[in-house]
Amino acid sequence: MPPKGSSSQASSLVRRGSGAATAAPPAGTLASRPSGGAKGPRRRSGYGGAVSSSLMRFYTDDAPGLKISPTVVLVMSVAFIGFVTLLHVFGKLYAYRKGA
Amino acid sequence: MAGGGFRLLHLVRPFLSVLPEVQSADRRVPFKEKMLYTGIALFVFLVCSQLPLYGIHSATGSDPFYWLRVILASNRGTCMELGITPIVTSGLIVQLLHGSKIIEVDNSVKEDRALLTGAQKLLGVLITIGEAVAYVLSGMYGDVRDLGAGNAILIIVQLFFAGIIVICLDELLQKGYGLGSGISLFIATNICENIVWKAFSPTTINAGRGAEFEGAIIALFHLLITRTDKVRALKEAFYRQNLPNVTNLLATVLVFLIVIYFQGFKVVLPVRSKSARGQQGSYPIKLFYTSNMPIILQSALVSNLYFISQLLYKRYPTFFLVNLLGKWQEHEYSTSGQLIPVGGLVYYLSAPTSLADIAVHPFHALFYITFMLTACALFSKTWIEVSGSSARDVAKQLKEQQMVIPGHRESNLQKELNRYIPTAAAFGGMCIGALTVVADFMGAIGSGTGILLAVTIIYQYFEMYEKEKASEAGMFGFFG
Repeated sequence: MPPKGSSSQASSLVRRGSGAATAAPPAGTLASRPSGGAKGPRRRSGYGGAVSSSLMRFYTDDAPGLKISPTVVLVMSVAFIGFVTLLHVFGKLYAYRKGA
Repeated sequence: MAGGGFRLLHLVRPFLSVLPEVQSADRRVPFKEKMLYTGIALFVFLVCSQLPLYGIHSATGSDPFYWLRVILASNRGTCMELGITPIVTSGLIVQLLHGSKIIEVDNSVKEDRALLTGAQKLLGVLITIGEAVAYVLSGMYGDVRDLGAGNAILIIVQLFFAGIIVICLDELLQKGYGLGSGISLFIATNICENIVWKAFSPTTINAGRGAEFEGAIIALFHLLITRTDKVRALKEAFYRQNLPNVTNLLATVLVFLIVIYFQGFKVVLPVRSKSARGQQGSYPIKLFYTSNMPIILQSALVSNLYFISQLLYKRYPTFFLVNLLGKWQEHEYSTSGQLIPVGGLVYYLSAPTSLADIAVHPFHALFYITFMLTACALFSKTWIEVSGSSARDVAKQLKEQQMVIPGHRESNLQKELNRYIPTAAAFGGMCIGALTVVADFMGAIGSGTGILLAVTIIYQYFEMYEKEKASEAGMFGFFG
């Protein structure tokens, strides 16, 4: 989506207006606009958001809770995969020993 | 303000402190890093959806959730058994409660929004536990007595952790570390994996005519090389009935292209800022205003009907009303014991299997088309109301931003939007429905619903990618 508009201010508005609107359907774009856009550290699509994406976007707001960093999430998932794999391995070993 | 609604939301608060919460990115995550995070999340999902659960005895027999698996990115007997079911279900429930004003949320209050998000997550976790227990106790993995208490608990624990991981991954992607959302990523991946597998699967199957490859493309070459009669070989590769054939593959590609072509259809309303002179923008109303929501809702409805009807038919196969709802039978070629509807209401709601089938049962096809179009149009219109993107809501948002349509008075804004939005929603929904029907009739791989979902999601990703690149370029332009 090429940015259109002559002045830099206008072009930024247009870009956000049109570019974002095509990615996430219109409502979300406009809702998120007053939140400051580039200033804010996170881009909130906000409630009422995006028509299709409202099903697809749930956890966009910060909620209080056990804060974990993204690395922890990834490590956690790898650990889970490892755990299930180990279960399989031990299950096989156990079955083998019982059979023997 | 309804006091009851507020209390309902506040009930969530004590549980919030134990829910995992991914930190928001406190800096701008570079595009490459986003790709990396998205890639890793995808990898974890793919591994989990191949890794079998430990301790299950059987995962064969008719699968009552067969039709739901497409939209829920779940794989039977693996760690992704639940897939994104908990997230989607909890999201829909909270959305509906919110949309119907049962829970009152003041969107301008940060705490309220946080509580709503927390409520969604809590509900997701609870649904994960509930479903895991229900799956195990209902004997989906073999009788609980055969499994033993230890194994049963182990299975529940595995399903629970897998659910938590999916929730965390989804949150990770949405919090700005990745592209898009986990849900759409996982759905699209699951469907694409399916399509690629059907095209290139090296598994051989013997259905009485010698060993045949399952993958359509591989089978094409195999047949062309091994058979002496090349014309017959081509014919077989294109039209074999029991396994994916080349026609199916071509149909899939065709549907893909059609949907992408239609994605570009939109009406662009020019808007102008009242406060800052010279600021102009455009407000595009897409033909697919509600995108893939109508199909998601429609297939959720139909799948649930299938599920109920199948359970009832198994228990009371002779009862008149149950038969009216649906009769089920095993498919003649099927090896998995999967039941398909052969009579009753659900039969008429199911897609005809081929063009030949349409010719034999024209009434079935007609009923199916009518149902799909109406359902999609209606769901689409309902969805804009529920999700807060109807003409009234959009007008309100535009007003808040002091945007007006040039040449129209502010009070006319809603009327002007009303000319386009409901039409776009209803007609767009109908188009999506029609495309699904076309895909089904042509026998596209992975069902019409699946393809439509995959294409719309991939298209969203493509747009996101473009936007991301544009904004990156913009940043560089700004600093440099």
